[in-house]
Order: sequence, then structure tokens, then C-alpha cells
Amino acid sequence: MSREISSRSSVFAVCFCFLFAIMPLFRHLPLWVSAIVAFALAWRCLQNLGRLRELPRWILIPTVLFCGIGVFAEYWTIVGRDAGLALLTVMTSLKFLESRRRRDMLILVFLCYFLIATHFLYSQSIPTAVMMFATLIVITATLITINRREARVSPLDLLRSSSRLVLLSIPLMLILFVLVPRVPGPLWGLTNEQRGGITGLSDHMSPGKISNLIRSNEVAFRVDFEGDLPAQSQLYWRGPVMTNFNGYRWSQLPRRPLKEITLTVSGPPIGYTVTLEPNGEQWLLALDVPTRMIEDSFLTADMQLINKKKINDLYRYDMESRLGYQFGEQESERYLTRARSYPEEYNPRTVELGKSLAAKYRGSEEIVEAVLRMFRQQQFFYTLSPPALGSHAVDEFLFQTRRGFCEHYAGSFALLMRAAGVPARIVTGYQGGEFNRVGNYLIVRQSDAHAWTEVWIEKRGWVRVDPTAAVSPNRIERGLDDALADEVSNFRIQTRNPIFGNLLYRWDSLQHGWNDWVLNYDERKQRVFLRDLEIGIDNWSDMVIALVLLLLAVTGSFWLLSWYRERPPKPAAYELQFRRLLKKLARHGIEKKPSEDSRTFLRRISAEDFEEREQLAPIIELYNRIKYGRDGDSALARNQLRSLIDALQS
Amino acid sequence: MISLSLPGPVRRYFDHWFDAHNPPSQDSILLHNRRLYILPTGFGYLFAVMMLFLFLAAINYQNSMAFMLTFMLTSLAIISLWQTHKNLLGISVKLQIPRPVFCGEMCELEFEVSHPNNSERFAIGIQYQDQPPVYLKLEPEGSTLAKLKLPTARRGLYKPAGITVFTRYPTGLFHAWGWLRFDLPILVYPHPADDARLQQSMVEQFDGQTSTSTIEGDDFAGLREHRVGESLRHISWKAYAQGRGLLTKTFQGHARPSLWIDWELMTRGSVEERLSLMTALVLAAENEEQKYGLRLPGKVIEQGYGSSHKHSCLQTLALYRQTDAEEELPVAGD
Repeated sequence: MSREISSRSSVFAVCFCFLFAIMPLFRHLPLWVSAIVAFALAWRCLQNLGRLRELPRWILIPTVLFCGIGVFAEYWTIVGRDAGLALLTVMTSLKFLESRRRRDMLILVFLCYFLIATHFLYSQSIPTAVMMFATLIVITATLITINRREARVSPLDLLRSSSRLVLLSIPLMLILFVLVPRVPGPLWGLTNEQRGGITGLSDHMSPGKISNLIRSNEVAFRVDFEGDLPAQSQLYWRGPVMTNFNGYRWSQLPRRPLKEITLTVSGPPIGYTVTLEPNGEQWLLALDVPTRMIEDSFLTADMQLINKKKINDLYRYDMESRLGYQFGEQESERYLTRARSYPEEYNPRTVELGKSLAAKYRGSEEIVEAVLRMFRQQQFFYTLSPPALGSHAVDEFLFQTRRGFCEHYAGSFALLMRAAGVPARIVTGYQGGEFNRVGNYLIVRQSDAHAWTEVWIEKRGWVRVDPTAAVSPNRIERGLDDALADEVSNFRIQTRNPIFGNLLYRWDSLQHGWNDWVLNYDERKQRVFLRDLEIGIDNWSDMVIALVLLLLAVTGSFWLLSWYRERPPKPAAYELQFRRLLKKLARHGIEKKPSEDSRTFLRRISAEDFEEREQLAPIIELYNRIKYGRDGDSALARNQLRSLIDALQS
Repeated sequence: MISLSLPGPVRRYFDHWFDAHNPPSQDSILLHNRRLYILPTGFGYLFAVMMLFLFLAAINYQNSMAFMLTFMLTSLAIISLWQTHKNLLGISVKLQIPRPVFCGEMCELEFEVSHPNNSERFAIGIQYQDQPPVYLKLEPEGSTLAKLKLPTARRGLYKPAGITVFTRYPTGLFHAWGWLRFDLPILVYPHPADDARLQQSMVEQFDGQTSTSTIEGDDFAGLREHRVGESLRHISWKAYAQGRGLLTKTFQGHARPSLWIDWELMTRGSVEERLSLMTALVLAAENEEQKYGLRLPGKVIEQGYGSSHKHSCLQTLALYRQTDAEEELPVAGD
């Protein structure tokens, strides 16, 4: 059986199926790998048509070797996501060139199933899932073609069969998904590849850095609040804190672990759950300022929440914050010195202005107020496309262009403070967000990225000052799109699309639910979910028992349903009468053999000693007339048959 | 039937169990639940290994969609287990009474496969041991004839063993099958020897006095092909005029020669060779339209002529010294 040559139609089917499975992956593959795919498929199809001969082994084997080396040269490894995909693709393509037997075709189909799995290392979104189902149907249809063993089968027919198979599998899949006990991973080392999106906050800030990010409408994270949503102007999502300044660029200092902190809080705690999209970094976003510690993460002395591992997959965490707070009164002198320092050789005019402010005003608070007043009263503009700046960027911005984005205002403000002798630093993160009124949660996009400052004031500690608010109050109170209504393409669903707003909110809710229920369904979520169902599934063994019982119940009901639908057709009334006759005769010891038809049976029993045999002939004659005669099956004839059989003694 | 070498008692128990669940049938075999077996194919096992790999990868990457795919494919396998079984369930197979065959020729078995249900059945195979199977498809409530060719290696009466009706549809991950055991034995005649001729020396005791020729006689019997050397007088010119070629008129003589095909006259060879020779002689005699009888040690068939006589002679030869008349058909080359 295993030597059987594959049929022509199945070769085409497998080629198509591979092409279908590999298509969405082309953009992750080097060009030469895509070329090999195209070459192998074209060759195999022409070979199938009889236009080409099979590629000889002495060409094929070196090609396999060269391709292996090629993958290694491309990635300097053969494991990991990208290299693994390239290797799998190349080897599958070359397998096509030496596939002659039915067995080879089946192996190729199995490899296509494997290819689907590689998609998920790149994306796990709803569209990817839909694509997976489509691909699954195509691959299964191919498997059916091979097993159908017919020369020509209509593709529509195949797709129908395979869709039925896939659809019937869905209930079982859901049961397995919910109930198979999840094991916390990883089992072996993961290669340190970035598996998520690449847009997001950065670990440094220079003019133009954030305004680039603003142009992306990708979702950064979504937040479900336990209580009411705080006011928009209070939604400062704290991210990387930058203390180091080289005259142009702000960057982070090495992390200072939080040893001891005095945190004075006021106001009620605000509980919420963040579903963070992968950002490839370690920082977690929290509302200013976080007051809860979570597993696998820690707070720095800058009150920044840091995860122990990079966020390469969707990450969900429960957090608690207080909006009224006071911290950092006991900041170390060494750190404060850093927070006052700046390179003297850059931005001389700004430094001079700062120094003059220090002379003019007495307290730090007055200096802050003076600078904010300057931003408010003089001609400063909030814009996404500020003019390019040279090496004395802050000077140029403050005294010439006066057009800038949040990083310009925060950066120049912090430098002025430092020049005036007030410790200051930059905090980056997100500000605001869009409330999804359909799903009751907040969507925070990359376009909500923001930078503000913190200044250190004696007896008050670190105090948040947002200079952007002084220039453009709308940015903080109503959001970016209002502040820059004529400059950015609006990302807010509300303003972008008032007609389909609800629909788009619904779509985002669906994605949020997908993240929450599908992508985040791990060991913890499973335990909590099953416990909250309150049906007595508390541990591992309960899950297995429930799993087996449910699987049996579902397959059993499928079985019963198909048995019912495919039951043999009900016998006609005359057949039932005939069976009654046979039963009556059986009581006299006369049995019809299965091989006899009614007439030969009649002939045989006529010879036997049976007193009512004269009556049998008309009955059987009538039976045959009903059964075979044209229009024989009338009510009259059936009644006649019944009364004739009734007349027989039993 | 079961080619495993099992210890005696286990094997007997197994055989008994097998016979009880798969009784041989004279009529048709209905594949119901207890007659159907299902096991994963080699690809089924490969698929299982693949699922294990996917599952481990899903755990490692904590990738929910990879979990979903693994579970999806596992469910697909479970569903296809059921569908494969369902594809065969309720089918009945009927073996048409097999025609006798000469040893060495292929014996053609004709199965009528049908089902009363309202569904199509695909890729139903019928296979004899490891010979290439034949595949068929059934329409709803349909029936199809399938011809299976079996090699024959020994004369005798055989019930073919190891014929299965099976399916792997739709995914090829499972192999569902039922055993086709029919109470309809195949009669295998001895192989007719190639070099056997009806010769004077072999043909003993002419019943009549003289005539060996059938060309001269009283009653016209028919036409046969003209042989070189025969008198032109006996050619049917009428037939020739009709373009049927040269045909010789034959006549039924009163003094029709009759002959005995006698075991004792076969001077050479083993039992099988002699039987083989005698088989050829029966066929030759039948062909020559001569009356013949059969003499075997302990068995005599009176002289006769015609198809049924030929068959009873050949059957006697086929079953000669076969103690166990109903054996299982051995594998070719056995």
C-alpha cells in the first residue's frame, strides 16, 4: 500500500494546499526562500502534467544542503521562530520535488498542518484565527481528496465534506480548550526573539521621538476599571522615567531598586485590570501611582513598574493605584544632584534663563509657576509637525521656533528647572485613552503616548508638572484628537466614524474579549474560571473526568444524530403485510429462505403439505402486482392484501 | 487468519472469540457494530506524535492559538474516527457463488456491496490479504459490484480467508474493517498439463469396434474447423460460400468412440502431475466431443459427455485425496 503512486489530482491538490498555507507567511520569509517555494511548486505541477521529468537526486541532494546552509547564513541559527520557519518551508518545498508516492503526499499534508502553527508565533489576532480555520478546511479537503480514491472529485464537494468535518470538530475543540489542564511554561529555553509588535515607548526621548509614535493607532493596552472611570485629565499612565540628559537626548539611569519609600496617599484606591499588548520591553504601565505589587514584577525607586521578563506576549495584570499621592521627600542627595545636572556646553540661552529665574524667584514652586506662565502667555504652539532642530535643540525651540510637541515642552521645561537648580526629570507613558462604551473599558493607543515632568520640591517630594497642559489644555482634558484636530488623522472611533462608531466599538470589544478569554486563558485563568462556574471542578483530576465525560457525551450525541438521520427508509405498507404473512407461515413451520424471491418461495411451498396453499397464490400474486406493477400501490390493493392475509388462519 | 504466533490456549481462545463474532455466512454479511473493527493507521500514529509535539510547543510558548490548533486537530481525529467507522457501518456484502477455477489462474470473486442508508459511502475497499485492494463508492441506498481476483496455488476446495472490507475515508488516520467470511467455498481444479494429448496409447478400450473418425457417420452433428489432410468431400461448401471459412461437416456415428481416462495409465510423475495430466485429458476429450469416463483408485466416474459431466470429473480430480475438504485458501506461493 505504501508504494502506491499518488494520483494526479491529489498532487495538484497538495500543491494548492501548500501554497494556501504558506501564502500569509511569505512576508516573514527571505525572498530566496519564497523563490524556492515557487520553483518547487511549479516544477512539481509541470512534472505532474508530464512536461518535466523528476528532478534527479544528484541535483536535489546538494540543493537540500545548500538551502540548509543558506538558512543558517541568513539567521546564524537554525532554531528559533524565523529560522525555523524558513527551514521548514525550504525542506517542505524540496520534499515536493521527490514526492511520488501516496505516502509522500500524506506527509506533505501533515507538514502543511504544522505550517499553520508557525503563523501563531507572529500573530494571534482574530483575523489570524479566521485564516487558520480557512486553511484548516483547505488542508483537510486535500487529505480527503487523497483518501477519496476517485479520479475526479468536484472541489466544492470536497470543501463541503471538509467543512463539515471541521465544524463538527469545533465543539470538541472547545471542550479540550477549556478543560485540558494547562501547564505553566516554558518547558525549554525560549530564543530571545521579539514576538510582539515593535511600536511602543522607548527607553530614551529626543525631539520627534514621541510624535512619531503618535502616528500609530495600534492599541497599547486596554483597561477594565472596577469602579468608575477617573477623569480624563487624571489618566497619567506611568512608563519609563528618564533622568539622564546629554543636551539633546533624555535617557534612563540604571534601575534603582526600591528599598524603602514613604508614600502618603489620599483618595480611594482605584482597582483595574490592564491587558498589555506585547511591547518587547520589561515595563508595565500603571496609573500614577501604583500601590500594589504583582507577581514577577517590582517597583523601582522612581515608582516605575518593571516586569522580570520581556513582555513578548499579551500580558494581563490586576493593578491598584491612588490618584492623590506624595512620595520621594527623602530622595537621596546623590540622586538629586543627578536630577539637577545638565551639560553646560549645550543650550546656553536656556541655561541662562534658568539661572536668572533662580535669582528672580525664591521657592521652587514659584519658578515652576513662572515657566508655566511663560508657556501659557507667550506664543507657543502645540503641533505634531514641528520644525527640525539643531544641536542646541532646547534653545532653538524656546527662543526661535516655539512649535513643538509634548517632548519639546517636557524636555525644555525640565532643563529650565535644572538650570534654576530645581531637580527635575522626564516621565514618559500614556495620557488619557478612549472609553469603549460598548465594552465598558478604556482603550489606550500608541497615539496616546505622552511625556511630562516631575520636579522635586522640598517637603513635597516629586510633583508632577505637565507643561503641555499649559500650552494646550485640550490635550489633557479631551485628548490628542481634540488638541490637534486638523493635524492628525483621528484615531478615536467616536470622532473618526460617528456612523459606524458602535460597530467599531463592538469590534474592539470583541478583540478585547478574545485577548481576555482566548489568548489569556492560562493555568491561572483556567483555575479561576472553572472554580467560578461552581460545578465542582476544583483540581486537575476533576478536569480530566469532566473532559472525558463531555467528550463522550458530545461524540455520543453526534453518533445518535447520524444514526437517526441515516436510518434505513421505512418499509412500505405492503412489505409490512408481507412480513406478517411470513410470520404466520413460520408458525406452521414454513420459512422463506433469504435467497428465494416470493415466486420461487411460492413454488416450493406449493409442493409441501400445507392446507391453505391455494390461498397463498393470490396473495403473492397481489403482493407482486403492488410491488412491481405500474400504479400497483393503491389504497384499494393494500386493503385487499391485508384482508387476504387476515383471512389466513394463524 | 491471525498470523501472530500466540501460545496455544491463547490462540484457541482468540480463534473461538473470533469465530463467535464473525460467523461465516452463506448469504450476505451485514457490517454492524460488533463486526466492525477500527485501529489507527501508521499515519494515525504519526499524527498522534505530531499532536504531542504541537502540544509541547504550545506549552513552551504559552501560545493559546497553538493550543487551539492542537485541540482542533485532535478533535478532527476523534471526529474522523467516528466518520471512518460510520462510513462502513450498515453495509452488507454478498458473495456471488464463485465459479470453479483451474489452479494457477486467478479466481475472480464477485461481491455485491450495498447499504440501505440515506448517505453516500466513499472509498470502500475490498482486499484479500496483502494483495492490492479494489475500491468502490456507494450512492445513497446504492449497491455496487466489486470484483476481486485471488491467486490460486493448490487444487481443492477452499474458503478464502483474510478477505476484508475496509475504509480509511475521510482522513486516512484510521482503518476500519470487517472480515468477510463466507461459507461459499472456491473449487480449484488441478492445473491442466500443457503437453497432454489424447493419444492412442493413453486411450484405453474403445467401446466401439472400428471407427475413430467422426467425419463419417449417419446423423449430421455440426461443423468444425477443417484440418489439413481431411477429405474435401466433407467440407461444407455452403458455409464456405457464406464466407465462414473451410468447415468440416461432422456426423454422429453409431460407433462413437468412448474412452477411459485412467489413473493407472499415467505412468509418470507425482500424484499432482498425474492429476494435472488427467485434467488436461478431460478437457481434451470434452473438446474432441468424445465420451469419456474417469478411473481413479477407489473412484470411478462412468462414461459421459457434456458440461456437467466435465465438471463432476474435474471436481473429483480436484478433491482427490484431499482429506480436509474445506481448507482456507493458502497464500500464493505457499
